[in-house]
Amino acid sequence: MIKMILFRKFRVLILMVFLVACTMHIMIDLLPKLEKRAAGAESGDGGCQCAHHPGGEAQGWGKQRARSAAEAGWPNKHTLRILQDFSNEPSSNLTSHSLEKNTAAGDRAESLRRAGPSAGKAGEHKPLIGDASGGRTVPAHGVSRLSALFEQPLYKVDLPSLTDDDTLFNVNTDIRFYPRATGNQGWHNEEGNEEEDEFSPTGEAESYPNWLRFHIGINRYELYSRHSPVLDALLKDLVTQRITSVAMKSGGTQLKLIMTFQNYGQALFKPMKQTREQETPPDFFYFSDFERHNAEIAAFHLDRILDFRRVPPVAGRLVNMTREIRDVTRDKKLWRTFFISPANNVCFYGECSYYCSTEHALCGKPDQIEGSLAAFLPDLNLAKRKTWRNPWRRSYHKRKKAEWEVDQDYCDEVKQTPPYDRGTRLLDVMDMTIFDFLMGNMDRHHYETFEKFGNDTFIIHLDNGRGFGKHSHDELSILVPLSQCCRLRKSTYLRLQLLAKEEYKLSSLMEESLLRDKLTPILIQPHLQAMDRRLRLVLQVLAGCIEKEGHVNVVEEDLVDTAT
Amino acid sequence: GTTSGPDDGASKLERLFSHPLYNIETPGIGPEERLLLAEQLMEYYRRKVSRWERHMKIYSEAAAVSNITLTEHQVTYDPNASWVKFHLGINRYALYSRVDPAIPKLLKEMQGMTVVSADYTQDEKALKGACDCTQVVKPSGHHLKLALKMQNFAKVMFKPMRQQRDEETPEDFFYFVDFQRHNAEIAAFHLDRVLDFRRVPPVSGRLVNVTGEVLQVTHNEDLRGVFFISPANNTCFFAKCLYVCKTEYAVCGGPDLLEGSLSAYLPGLSIAPRISIPNPWIRSYTFSGQEEWEVNPFFCDTIKQTYPYNSGNRLLNIIDMSIFDFLIGNMDRHHYEIFTKFGDEGFLLHLDNARGFGKHSQDEMSILAPLSQCCIIKRSTLMRLRLLTQRDYRLSDVMRESLEGDPLQPILTEPHLLALDRRLQKVLRAVQRCIRRLGEDEVITRDFVKSTTRPQ
Repeated sequence: MIKMILFRKFRVLILMVFLVACTMHIMIDLLPKLEKRAAGAESGDGGCQCAHHPGGEAQGWGKQRARSAAEAGWPNKHTLRILQDFSNEPSSNLTSHSLEKNTAAGDRAESLRRAGPSAGKAGEHKPLIGDASGGRTVPAHGVSRLSALFEQPLYKVDLPSLTDDDTLFNVNTDIRFYPRATGNQGWHNEEGNEEEDEFSPTGEAESYPNWLRFHIGINRYELYSRHSPVLDALLKDLVTQRITSVAMKSGGTQLKLIMTFQNYGQALFKPMKQTREQETPPDFFYFSDFERHNAEIAAFHLDRILDFRRVPPVAGRLVNMTREIRDVTRDKKLWRTFFISPANNVCFYGECSYYCSTEHALCGKPDQIEGSLAAFLPDLNLAKRKTWRNPWRRSYHKRKKAEWEVDQDYCDEVKQTPPYDRGTRLLDVMDMTIFDFLMGNMDRHHYETFEKFGNDTFIIHLDNGRGFGKHSHDELSILVPLSQCCRLRKSTYLRLQLLAKEEYKLSSLMEESLLRDKLTPILIQPHLQAMDRRLRLVLQVLAGCIEKEGHVNVVEEDLVDTAT
Repeated sequence: GTTSGPDDGASKLERLFSHPLYNIETPGIGPEERLLLAEQLMEYYRRKVSRWERHMKIYSEAAAVSNITLTEHQVTYDPNASWVKFHLGINRYALYSRVDPAIPKLLKEMQGMTVVSADYTQDEKALKGACDCTQVVKPSGHHLKLALKMQNFAKVMFKPMRQQRDEETPEDFFYFVDFQRHNAEIAAFHLDRVLDFRRVPPVSGRLVNVTGEVLQVTHNEDLRGVFFISPANNTCFFAKCLYVCKTEYAVCGGPDLLEGSLSAYLPGLSIAPRISIPNPWIRSYTFSGQEEWEVNPFFCDTIKQTYPYNSGNRLLNIIDMSIFDFLIGNMDRHHYEIFTKFGDEGFLLHLDNARGFGKHSQDEMSILAPLSQCCIIKRSTLMRLRLLTQRDYRLSDVMRESLEGDPLQPILTEPHLLALDRRLQKVLRAVQRCIRRLGEDEVITRDFVKSTTRPQ
C-alpha cells in the first residue's frame, strides 16, 4: 500500500518536473513571439501576425532557436530591438502590402543573431560595393556612341564621399542578416510564402549573389554607381538564373508576377500584352492604358543614359510558361487560370483588378512568353521606403480636373510646402518630369524614397510600364511641372543639351543601349525618334523659362558642390 | 467582283430569286398558321403608344426639374407601319415571305427613321446591375447592345461596331470569348435570305449618332451614366459589367457617329411567346471539357430516338441551322428558339449571329457535326446549296450583291465572301460522303411541294 502511495507521489513528482520543463520550454518559445507582437503593436498592426506561419513550423523553428539561444545567451537582444524599431518606424506610410511582412522581420532578426562568425567577412567585399573603377566591359568596336557619352566629363562627376549615413546598409552590421538566413532555407520553402524566400541565401557568405551586391550598393544619391560591375552581372542573372518559384503580386492593378531565382534573388515580371507596333488607342485614358513590358526595359536604359540611375535594373526575358511559371507556382489562384487555347498555345490570365480575364489572357507561342524582369529593391523590412503623392498627380477621373490644371501659379504653392521648400526635392521632381515626358508616361501618381535618407535623397523611378504608348503624340501636360516651376539642375540641363547634339543623339544612344537586351528590338524606330523630338520640346520650354526669369533663377548650380 | 457568266444585264441575285427553286409554292396559310391576329396586334400597339405618351409627360416634367437635356420626339401611331406588317406576316413556315414588300421597307425605315428612345435590353436589365467578374462565359446581358425605339414605335436592337472589317478573331480566343460583330449580324440576315431559310429577323446597318440618338433620348439614368468624353474628344459609352470587370473598355463614336447593326425586334413575348431550347450539339463552354457529340460518332443515333427529334422536321431544321452556322463560322449556337404557337412543327429562329464571320481563313468542321453524324438533309436545302455553287448563282457573288444594298457596305471583306464558296463545297462533300455510305434515299428527305413557276 505504502509502496503504492510512494509510487504515486513519485509519479506526481515526475509529472511536476515535466510540467515545469514544459512551461519553461514554452516560455522560451514564446518570448521572441511576444517581442514581435510588441513591435507589431507599435506600428498599429497587431492583428495578422501569424497569418503566414502555421503553428507547427513556427514551433519547430522556435525549438531550434531556443537551443542556440541557450548556447549564446541573450546578448543579441539589443540588436533585435534596434532592427525592429528600424522596420516599424511609425511615421512611415507603408502600403498594405508591406504591412503583411512585419512577422518576417522578427524571424529575420532572429536569424541575424545566429550567424555571428560570417558577419565579419562582409568587410572583404567592400570594394565591390564602392565604385569599382574600370570593371566595365566596353564594346570592342570603337564606334560606340554610348561609351563615348560615358567618357564625357558630365558623366564623370563624382559623388560626395559617403558616410555610413549615406549608404542604405551598413556593411559591417546590417548586412549580416542577409547570409544569416541560410539555416531557414528548407523552412522557407515548406512555408509556401514565396515572398519570404528573398532572404534565403546561397550558403557561402564569401560570394554574395549579385542582387545582394546591388542592394548593398544603394546610397543616398543613386541606386547603382555608373560603372558598377554588379549591374551587368545582375542584368545577366535576371535573364539566366533558374526560376524556382512564382507568385502573383497583390495590390497592383494589372497582372504582375514575383519571380524567385535559384540564388534567392527576386524580380518583378511584367508579361507582354501588346506588340511593339501597337499604340494606345486614342480614346483610352491614361489610367486604362496597358502596362508594357518593353516600356519597363526602355525606361531603365533611358534613366541610365540621362545619368539619373533611379530605376532598378530591368531585363527582358523569354519565359517558358509551363516550366517556369505553371510548374513552379504554389499559388492556386494563378495555377487555376492556365488553359490551352484553340490554337494549342498555353495561356493564363491570373487574378487582378485590371485586364485579368479570358478576353485578355496572355498566350505563349506555344509556351514562350516575353516579359520584363525588374530586380527587386531591398525588402521593406530592411529598407523602408516612403511613398509620396506627386503634387502634379492627375485626377484619375473621366471628367474632373486636377488643381494644377486650372491654377497657373500652382508651383508657387508647392515651393512653399515641405519637402519641396528646401533641399533637392523639387529639382528631383523636375528630373522625373522630364524623364516621364520623354517616355510619355502620364501615370506618375506617387513616387518613393528610401526612408533612411530622409528628405535629402533621390526619387526612385518605379513603375514605368505606361510609358512609350504613343509615338505619334507628345503629351505636353506631363511637362507642366517644369513649365510652371521653371527650375532645373544644371547637370541635368547640360546633359539634355548634350543629348540633343547630333553625335550624342538620344535616339541613337537608346538604340545602342537597348541592343544589349535579349528581347531586342525593344522600341520601334518611331518611339526612338519621338524621344529626340520631345527632348527638343523640353529644351524649348527651358529656353522660354530662362528668357522669362533669367538663367540664374532657372538653372540651379549643382556641379560645384554636389553635397547639399 | 468580276463575273464571266451570261451577262444579260439582270443581276445574279434577281436571277436567283426568280429561279423555280425559290418559287416553291407554300401551302395555303390559314389563320391558325399565322403567329398573330391583326386585331390583337393593333390593340397591343395602341395600348403601348398611349402608355408611352403618359410616361413622356411625367418624364419631361422630371427632366425639366433635374436639368437634363432631353430631346423629345413625337411618337406616331401608324397601323400601316412596316414593322407591324412584318409581325403580321410571320407564319409557321418562315419569318417573312419571299415577296413581302414590307421587308425592304422595314430595312429602309430602320436606316433612316428618327430614334425616339434608347434603353438597355431586357436581358441586361434582368441582371439588375449584378456583375460576376469570375464568370468565364459572360451571360448575354453583359454584352454591349441597346434597344432603340423609332418614331413609329418600331423597336430594334443596336449592336455597335467592335472590330474592323479586316480583323480576324485572335487565334487563341475561344468561341465564347469572341467579339460580337455588327457586320456578322447584317451578313447573316442576307445569307439566310439567300439560302431561302427566312429565319433571321431583318437586320440593317446604320451610322448612329450616339449623342443625339442615344444619350439625348434615353430615359434611363444608368445608361446616361455610362457616357463620357474620351481624351480624343469622342463620345463613348460602355457596357457596365464588362467595364466593371475590366474586360472591355468602351466603344467610341467619331466624334458622335458610330457604326452598328440594327435588327428588328420580334413580337413581344406577351403576345407571341417563344421558348429557348438547348442545342443537342451544344459545346462545353469550358477551356478543356468535351461534349458527348465530340467523342461519340454515333451520337445522332441517340438523338434520333429522343423527343422532339424522333419525328417531324425538327432534326432536319437543326441540320439546316448547322449548315447556316458552318457557312458563317458561328460556333456559339448554344440555344435555338421556336414560337410556342407553332409547336414542334414550327421553324427554328436563327437569332444572334454576331459571332459569325470571325475567321475567313479557317473552316470549323465541328459545326457541321449534325449533318455529318445524322446524314440527312432536306431535299429543298440541298438543291439550293447545289444551285449556289453554279457559276451563274455563285454564293459569294449573290452575297456580295445582296450586301451592296446596305448603307454600311462593304459589310464583308473579299476573303470572307470567298470562304463562303469554299465552305459550301465542304457541305456538299459531306452530303456526298453520306450518300456514298447510305444511299440517296436515306440521306435526302423529300420535303417540298411543287414550284409555282415553270423552269425556263
